Amino acid sequence: MHENATILEASPRERLGSRYSRRLRTQGRLPAIVYGHKIEPTPISLDRTDACLHIEAGEKVFRIAIDGAAEPQVVLLKEIQFDYLGSNIVHADFARVDLNERVHTRVHIDLIGEAVGLKDIGAILMRPHNEIEIECRVADIPDSIEADISSLELNQTLTAAQIALPVDDMKLLSDAGTAIAQIVLQAAAKSAEAEEVEVEGEPEVLGDADEKTEETKEEKSE
Amino acid sequence: MPPGRMPKRVKFRKEFRRVRRRNATKGNYVAFGDFGLQALEGAWVKGCQIEAGRVAAQHYLKREGKLFIRVFPDKPVSKKPLETRMGKGKADVDYWAARVRPGTMLFEIAGVPEQAAKEALVRVAMKMPVKCRFVGRRVAV
Repeated sequence: MHENATILEASPRERLGSRYSRRLRTQGRLPAIVYGHKIEPTPISLDRTDACLHIEAGEKVFRIAIDGAAEPQVVLLKEIQFDYLGSNIVHADFARVDLNERVHTRVHIDLIGEAVGLKDIGAILMRPHNEIEIECRVADIPDSIEADISSLELNQTLTAAQIALPVDDMKLLSDAGTAIAQIVLQAAAKSAEAEEVEVEGEPEVLGDADEKTEETKEEKSE
Repeated sequence: MPPGRMPKRVKFRKEFRRVRRRNATKGNYVAFGDFGLQALEGAWVKGCQIEAGRVAAQHYLKREGKLFIRVFPDKPVSKKPLETRMGKGKADVDYWAARVRPGTMLFEIAGVPEQAAKEALVRVAMKMPVKCRFVGRRVAV
């Protein structure tokens, strides 16, 4: 599958640091780093538009062709850094991998089907977690895993253990009880909110209470 | 003091004003819901403004979806009464505020379609003292 992984053209970065990274970004490049397999880390820069397009599409395995290198390296996207608004990717980490190597990665869960329980009045679909951690071969990493919720009824929860993994030797690393989707009544969801009772007047000052007790103790001793 | 959210108990009655210059480095992505309202400016958002936002969203959403409020007004802001001379100590607390930096996620919504979430959060944005934008979840690695 990943023999056809996207090829990203990269050029090595000679000058490092935030100042030079910022200059690269203004030129439409994305600073990144490639590390792993006991080889020295290689700082690189990618074409920002091209790289972000594939990363935002959920792709995780790439082939990086660095200028001057003999052949493209297969890499796994390990981490991405965003700017403070979270809208732009400012840096990416890639780890060198073999296609047959087993790695830990997180995969997005796509819910498919119309749940039976959602037909009840006031029922809402909650998604406490929308990704799971798995262990699998690099070649088998999916962009996303589909989970069918059409048979999910009211007050039922779809857990990570109930999701059918697409490949047999894929292993679930997330807690088996991790809730992926659940259908609850809006009233039940609101009961937690109702506990947040609004405070009227002034909040209690912790120091004041201690002072008052000390004062009363002093009065009694007198 | 206007009605709104405030802490139940505090360690100190008043506090310094402190600087508010930097961008948000935490609480700046959609963590609980599917869509969120993100502040693009920094400000002290009053407890009553947050409450007004909550009411506006829940009024629009009626009984659908779940609303998450990501900021809490835990900062006491004091204000001297009008026509008062300077000095004579720090004034009484006027309102409670949440410190909002550019990038802070203010509200999140789960369990409703994107269009409904957008409509609700646009109404919330009108109640906020800062410029806001509607955002979805980030790409996960």
